[in-house]
Amino acid sequence: MKASRLRQFERSQDSLLQCGRAALAGTLCALLVSQPLSAEVSKPAPVVKLQEVQGQQRVLHVLNRLTFGPRPGDVAAVQAMGLNKWFEQQLNPAAIRDSVLDAKLAEYPAMNLPLAELQRKFPGPQQIRAMLDGKAQMQMPTDPVMRAMVEDQKEFYKLQQKAQAANAAKTTPSDAGKMSGQEMTPAAGSQMAAPDASVDPTAPATAVTGPMREEARKLMEMAPEDRFRAIMALSPNQLQRLRPAAGPGLTAGFTPEQKEILIALPGSVRMIALESMESRLMRDIYSERQLEAVMTDFWLNHFNVYVRKNQNEAYLLPSYERDTIRPNALGNFETLLVATAKSPAMLEYLDNFRSVGPDSLQATRIKRAKQINPNAKQLQQASAGLNENYGRELMELHTLGVNGGYTQADVTQVAKVFTGWGLERPLQGSDYLFDERRHEPGSKTVLGKTIPEGGEKEGLEVLHMLATSSATAHFISTKLAIRFVSDTPPAALVDRMAASFLKSNGDIKTVLRTMFHSPEFWSTEAYRAKVKTPEEFVISAVRASGAAVDNPQPLVQALEKLGMPLYGMQTPNGYSWTQEGWLSTGALVSRMNFALVLSASRFPGVRVDWAQTVNSSLTATPVSYSPAATVDAASAKEKRLEDVLLGQAVSERTRATVISQSIDTNVTEQAMTQFDLTPDGGKTGPRYLPKDPQGRNNATADPDDAQAAVMAGLLLGSPEFQRR
Amino acid sequence: MNTMRQAMVDTSDWGCDMCGRDLAKRGLQGGPSRRGFLKGGALALVGTSVIPGFLLRSVMAEATTAAANNKRLVVLFQRGAADGLNIVVPFQEKNYYSMRPSIAIKQQDVLDLNGFFGLHPSLAAFKPLYDQGHLAIIHAAGSLDSSRSHFDAQDYMESGTPGVKSTQDGWLNRALLNGPAPDGPDGKPSAFRAVALGTQVPRTLQGKLPAIAVSNLADFSVGGKGPQTSSISNAFQAMYDESSDAVLHGTGQETFEAVKMLKAADPAKYAPAAGVNYPNGPFGNSLKQIAQLMKANLGVEAAFSDIGGWDTHQNQGAATGQLANRLTEFANGIAAFWKDMEDDAENITLVTMSEFGRTARQNGTGGTDHGHANVMFVLGSRVKGGKVYGKWPGLDNSQLNEGRDLAVTTDFRRVLGEVAYKTLGAKNLDAVFPGSQVTPSEFLNFV
Repeated sequence: MKASRLRQFERSQDSLLQCGRAALAGTLCALLVSQPLSAEVSKPAPVVKLQEVQGQQRVLHVLNRLTFGPRPGDVAAVQAMGLNKWFEQQLNPAAIRDSVLDAKLAEYPAMNLPLAELQRKFPGPQQIRAMLDGKAQMQMPTDPVMRAMVEDQKEFYKLQQKAQAANAAKTTPSDAGKMSGQEMTPAAGSQMAAPDASVDPTAPATAVTGPMREEARKLMEMAPEDRFRAIMALSPNQLQRLRPAAGPGLTAGFTPEQKEILIALPGSVRMIALESMESRLMRDIYSERQLEAVMTDFWLNHFNVYVRKNQNEAYLLPSYERDTIRPNALGNFETLLVATAKSPAMLEYLDNFRSVGPDSLQATRIKRAKQINPNAKQLQQASAGLNENYGRELMELHTLGVNGGYTQADVTQVAKVFTGWGLERPLQGSDYLFDERRHEPGSKTVLGKTIPEGGEKEGLEVLHMLATSSATAHFISTKLAIRFVSDTPPAALVDRMAASFLKSNGDIKTVLRTMFHSPEFWSTEAYRAKVKTPEEFVISAVRASGAAVDNPQPLVQALEKLGMPLYGMQTPNGYSWTQEGWLSTGALVSRMNFALVLSASRFPGVRVDWAQTVNSSLTATPVSYSPAATVDAASAKEKRLEDVLLGQAVSERTRATVISQSIDTNVTEQAMTQFDLTPDGGKTGPRYLPKDPQGRNNATADPDDAQAAVMAGLLLGSPEFQRR
Repeated sequence: MNTMRQAMVDTSDWGCDMCGRDLAKRGLQGGPSRRGFLKGGALALVGTSVIPGFLLRSVMAEATTAAANNKRLVVLFQRGAADGLNIVVPFQEKNYYSMRPSIAIKQQDVLDLNGFFGLHPSLAAFKPLYDQGHLAIIHAAGSLDSSRSHFDAQDYMESGTPGVKSTQDGWLNRALLNGPAPDGPDGKPSAFRAVALGTQVPRTLQGKLPAIAVSNLADFSVGGKGPQTSSISNAFQAMYDESSDAVLHGTGQETFEAVKMLKAADPAKYAPAAGVNYPNGPFGNSLKQIAQLMKANLGVEAAFSDIGGWDTHQNQGAATGQLANRLTEFANGIAAFWKDMEDDAENITLVTMSEFGRTARQNGTGGTDHGHANVMFVLGSRVKGGKVYGKWPGLDNSQLNEGRDLAVTTDFRRVLGEVAYKTLGAKNLDAVFPGSQVTPSEFLNFV
């Protein structure tokens, strides 16, 4: 069994090599790798004539698949440009201006910082702890603001420690054993976490005493600069009490940097985690480079990492998205693979930075030291052996796929190959570093091929081998086809994409072109065949409604509620791209409520101007936006909303329901309470210092909008909108 | 030591048979008499005008479900491959300590079960359940498939068909389909017959029988929380009812049926019983809501929840630390659920599993890598607990699977098969676990 799999692999290796020498074996490869659009090479496989979608539906189809959903006016704009031209433009994102997004992202200056700078400016729990333990390797910042922040974090850290100690004291394990009734305090399990254990970076600190309303009022009257200084001078305790009292004006006039500092005061991790998610959502919603955004999302899911892996992982997300994934999202697969292998985010997420060759210099040294002093605590904790986690997932999930023909022995060998691939200063936001002393000496055998001893080069050789394997080409193509075409993509399409992958040495653009120009992509069977994931649903609803998003935090929370939090998949397989699981009963309820709340502009910081949205379509003549007194008028408005939100007609029943319901505008009040985003029902006020003063409490008062909002809420929650 | 292990290997189960199972101890819990009284009392009250609504409903439900077995199954999945060797610790195995120099649970720390195995100290909440004879342990259980992929192994365990990828449905769905049909009040099975806590229906529950996923009961309502369905909810219902989209039409119907039922039953009023504290976090919250659903008599037959965080490749700790924290949450959640169900616990069976175990030896980073056999727990009033079931394969280097993991001696389907057979009445085991050849004669007879 194993042998035959290996042989199979060798065979594919051979054909691979042949393809690699494309210049010499061009004809052979051309036969192997059919070019979908040229009639003569598609001869070998009989092409079934597929019914293709036509006309405006083609545009809609493309926008539903290659973007996060059309915005009002997008269909007309793309139609005017021509689909092929649009597609080629999307394949070269650097040439597309993105000024609206740039303005939005200016609110997140920390997201542009290099890893080390981010860590220096916003010290995390590891550094704070080191300072408190007297092991302060880190210099105290000279800048007074930064200094205040470090001091505050230290205080907050101490407060938390105290609270945890108090909880822990109530139930030590031995006590618990004696209690037959088992009444552990609820907090014990979650708070007694080891330093490295999963943490919730978004959990708010608890308030100590009542809110400081009077102080908050006084602060609000100050000029921004004075106010900022005054806030920085508050003690951590005061800050905690200020938070629930803080109104929208508290951060008015602050620079984005000042706002970030304020949010980071009780803990940098939370601020960085939130900004990573918020800026990612902003990009998906606003970027004109939609295909790049979609592909970035695809690869972030393929090379999944988890924000709660440890207290440091959040720091690694901005550079992971910005430097590792996005620049390669439409590039070369091997380059992308190498980038992820060296990324601090992946090195920490799959533990590779801890892996040490059992016969490496370091392991030998530790063994020797242990013989001399077996009880030294530091030695007990020192890494001195292999960790297979990355080696396994690299083959199973990143490249070959689970049936890709590797064995447990291969996993161990690959783990040895990657020993030494680590970090300069682990868990402190440092960059990749290959450490020869941790690297397992000797040659290795991976998938039947001998990898001669070569330090870091061994890993690159293995990555090259994996990136150019036909199993990988097939696995990646299948995943892409599932994301873009259908849950059960036709084998012929996948084969063609895989062939393109091999022929182009893993050029992602080439693979996407093959897909785009395939009849299967355009087939009527594929049209609206995909059920939206929660992420696709939320973003497409925001885009379709033309919502102005000043504060994406409620949307970040909505994704959590819908079961698909950003950077929130704990296991390395990432989220599913198929409908199974996403279409459950509970999920549907949440989707409908989300649609109602969004449409009514009840998410703080997310506003929809329905009059503008409805009339922004390039081709249509404006409809009257007065309250629809007659059924005819309501019907006209509804029709326009259908057009804007769905780009096509809904069923008669859906339409009739929407029109009859739109008379009753109280319904969104109820939905609002239903899709409650704060865990305690909002009783304790805002969880964070408000980032966006204008964004809060912006309920729509316009009755015209209210009617459109009900209609739109129903349409966005309709069966039709759940598909793309 | 050697003779001792010999004895272990030769018997099909081990340990003191009556360990913690003596009737005196069970009697001390006062279960039977109190339960009998309450039930009789409630029935006797039928017809008077002072019965609280919930009591009446529960009595009515009991009366109308007639002969159908009133048993419910709770299935818990520990995702990420829990380290069974540090959960139920074979502390008499010398090699256990030499293979795990810094992460082994010291003998003085384990909660001794039978002189050979001991519970991890964080499972303190399990000890009384074991002593009362409600908790059975099956060690060295797992899948005969050798996959060390989380995703494959979870998939196989949930589909119930190791090695077969093409299986479309989950074992629990098939078990329900093969059990006796429940006769609900109007002859229709309840929308809550198969319920998963979370945002997605897990593989275990996917299949022909409609299953429902709920992450938060309080939010399970469209456009308003009141006792009546809102007009907007009705509008949505009309849309989905007549949708030609088969998938969304189906899900929509189930959704609105469930919303209606939940509104009528109002599980929010079932606060946890006095003195019951669920641990904070999603797992405790899920179990609390399973309890609410069951107490609200919504016709739940099978409930599923999962708990992650078991993939302890590094720094897993020993008596304290990462794994210990997960175990505290795990055990305290289950114990709270058991206590919360009070008299209803009588009808409940709860079973836990994890896709595979972890390597017998600790790895180079204070953790363990993907292994093979694991430990399963079965909790229930009818469970013959207080005993560790299965055949212990031993931990000598020569006894390890592929030289690295605890070997599997009990196919997990023998455990789940027995549970499905005896709790859900799924007598056609070949339909539940096709190809497994599990028959009642192979049951461990822990129920």
